[in-house]
Amino acid sequence: MIDWQTIIEKYGPAVWQTSYRLLGNRADAADCFQETFVSALEFSRRQPIKNFSALLMRLATTRAIDQLRKRFHRSDRTVASADWIAVPSTNPGPVQTAQQQELIERLRESLIKLPLPEAQVFCMRYLNDMSYRQIAKELGIKTNTAGVLLHRARAKLRKSFEVSTKEKNEVVL
Amino acid sequence: MKERESDNILEKAVKAINDQQVPPGPPRELANSTITKLNEISSQTNTYSDGRRIRLIERIKVLNSITKVAAAAVLLIMIGYATGRLLSPKSPDIEQLRASLEPAIRNQLVDEMKQYLQLGLTNSYIQLKDDLSQQYRRDLNQFTAYTLVASGAAINQLLEELIESINTAQVQNRQWVAAALGEIELNRLKDNAQLSNAFVTFAAQTEDELVRNRQNMVQILSYAQPDSLVPNRFTDPNNLN
Repeated sequence: MIDWQTIIEKYGPAVWQTSYRLLGNRADAADCFQETFVSALEFSRRQPIKNFSALLMRLATTRAIDQLRKRFHRSDRTVASADWIAVPSTNPGPVQTAQQQELIERLRESLIKLPLPEAQVFCMRYLNDMSYRQIAKELGIKTNTAGVLLHRARAKLRKSFEVSTKEKNEVVL
Repeated sequence: MKERESDNILEKAVKAINDQQVPPGPPRELANSTITKLNEISSQTNTYSDGRRIRLIERIKVLNSITKVAAAAVLLIMIGYATGRLLSPKSPDIEQLRASLEPAIRNQLVDEMKQYLQLGLTNSYIQLKDDLSQQYRRDLNQFTAYTLVASGAAINQLLEELIESINTAQVQNRQWVAAALGEIELNRLKDNAQLSNAFVTFAAQTEDELVRNRQNMVQILSYAQPDSLVPNRFTDPNNLN
């Protein structure tokens, strides 16, 4: 019998961080948090879990990307509903904060356009700081494949950023 | 070049998403509700006990005992039905039963409908509130972004105008200074010419005067003095010879 309370106490903060970073607001992060643990429970019924941390990171990333997709499908807005209340007052300034939020939102928007495995690998590498080997093990792929997926994800994100910068410049002009 | 730039932006975005302030969490209520939910789901489907499947023999055992219990229940029901049929004086009056039950059922249905509607309204209210707050935040963010862009453009325009006016003023000043310098130079040349002319005139006059004086001197020196005017050396008391 899995002691979910201990699991949540131990891995909950990491799952919360991953969810919040990707989603940017409390309500969505809370939904993602619950869905992650429910998915982990369902997973535990099919097979025993060896590495809770990696599994939960993978599930949190997947659920968060799903949520982002839903959010962006709901509305085609350009600026996201970031949780401005959570932004502390010690930040450098409103312009810089706005620019950072815009960058984050562009990254989120670009992430949901990637195929799920590429988005997962990117998030696990850069948001959860997992090694290629850990990512490969968790996703059940080869280390080289993980590298290829990450490379593709970076290339696509770069291209997406180029396009959005171009569009933005056109709008400003 | 472009690739490097977009790579930079990507790195900045990754840094920004990693550096963004995450409120400490998960909140206690969320953790508790998650644990409750997980326990509910766990208790709903008891397919796993300690992480392994229930064996086939255990299942058969369980099925056997269930079958026995079911057979006993069926038997009891049949006995009860037979006893009831035999002992019942007459069949109950359906109309009377319906008349007595109908108001109670109706009231219960009305209450349940009320509760259902109340619940539905509450949910709709909450959802509407969430949607409106999201819409409000979205609009606010959009407005902030537009304002920032507009103010930036206005400031840029003003700065350009300021730079242009400064440049114009500088050019005008330079022109004035150049004109003044030109004027000063012309005056200097004119003064110089006048001064040299004056010097030449002065020198010529001085030379004429000198020549005249020399001639006068020569004339004076060559002038023959009459004898009577020559002093006698014998009678001169000063002459001791």
